[in-house]
Amino acid sequence: MSTPTPTPTPTTGGAAAALGAALAAEYAAIWAYGPIGVRLTDAARKAARDAEAAHRRRRDELVLQLSTGGGQVPADRAGYALPFPVTDRAGALRLAVEVEERTAAYWRAAVAATTGADRERALAALVDCAVRATRWRRTAGTTPLTVPYPGRPA
Amino acid sequence: MAAWPATMVLTCAVATGRTTQRDGTIRHSRRKVLRAGALLALGGAVAPLAGCDPFGPDDPAPGPDPLAPLVDEALALAGAYRDAAAAHPALADRLAPIAETHAAHAAELARIARVTLPSASAAPASAAPAADPDTALAALRERETTARDTATRACVAAPAERAALLASVAAARATHLEALR
Repeated sequence: MSTPTPTPTPTTGGAAAALGAALAAEYAAIWAYGPIGVRLTDAARKAARDAEAAHRRRRDELVLQLSTGGGQVPADRAGYALPFPVTDRAGALRLAVEVEERTAAYWRAAVAATTGADRERALAALVDCAVRATRWRRTAGTTPLTVPYPGRPA
Repeated sequence: MAAWPATMVLTCAVATGRTTQRDGTIRHSRRKVLRAGALLALGGAVAPLAGCDPFGPDDPAPGPDPLAPLVDEALALAGAYRDAAAAHPALADRLAPIAETHAAHAAELARIARVTLPSASAAPASAAPAADPDTALAALRERETTARDTATRACVAAPAERAALLASVAAARATHLEALR
């Protein structure tokens, strides 16, 4: 049997819970790039805008995917408390690395909870977060630029 | 202003990762199997248990673990980065951490694949790094790209309990490419 157009697969159980958690992380990441961006200038500010846009795309995909499955779609919040005050460029870059690393952890959990195309998407999201974290470390002058296991809880 | 979910995102990231793995059905069923095995053993039914062992003598030996080639690939990459760092000391700061990561991946992959980690000296000698640093970096980028794709395919095909590790390996390789830019 073949279908002319791909039919969205209902997302249920552990996969839905993991993707819902990833969505909550994406909401927070999008929010965090606001205070990050205002402390940056030029190319770094542009990179922050691009990163925020990438997180918005992931958010939109997740909302669509979870609502298609008929499951609960977690709601965004009005604001989020930052893990530390962001008052300058260095703090903004440190937060950007942290946001990407922590969002990566949710996507890594989603990889294990999904299969097939859903897993491919979760892996792509994990890779994107990890690569952005590396770029932010370079911008901040942090070394090494990479970690051995992106997204793995410490 | 609501708390950063914060306590969801910034602290629970850790907890979620663990929960998913610990509460995964695989582990649960493994516990059940173990429990069932213990009950049977108490009942004295040891012989049937041995007969059920999927890796017992009655069954054909399982094929090589699909992760075995990834162990070799990671070891070879670690060697290539070490050789390049030795040939180009100016690049050593960038290359040494990546070599260490590949060696760590090889050890971790060998552990879950239950294969013996070959010693570094047993790894096949790879071609000497190019004398020109840019050429040497380009060669590493090419090998890293291939390795990233290997890990990506392995992750998508893997059972749940291996998928997270392979995802981190694939992601690490993608970040190496970024670091080599």
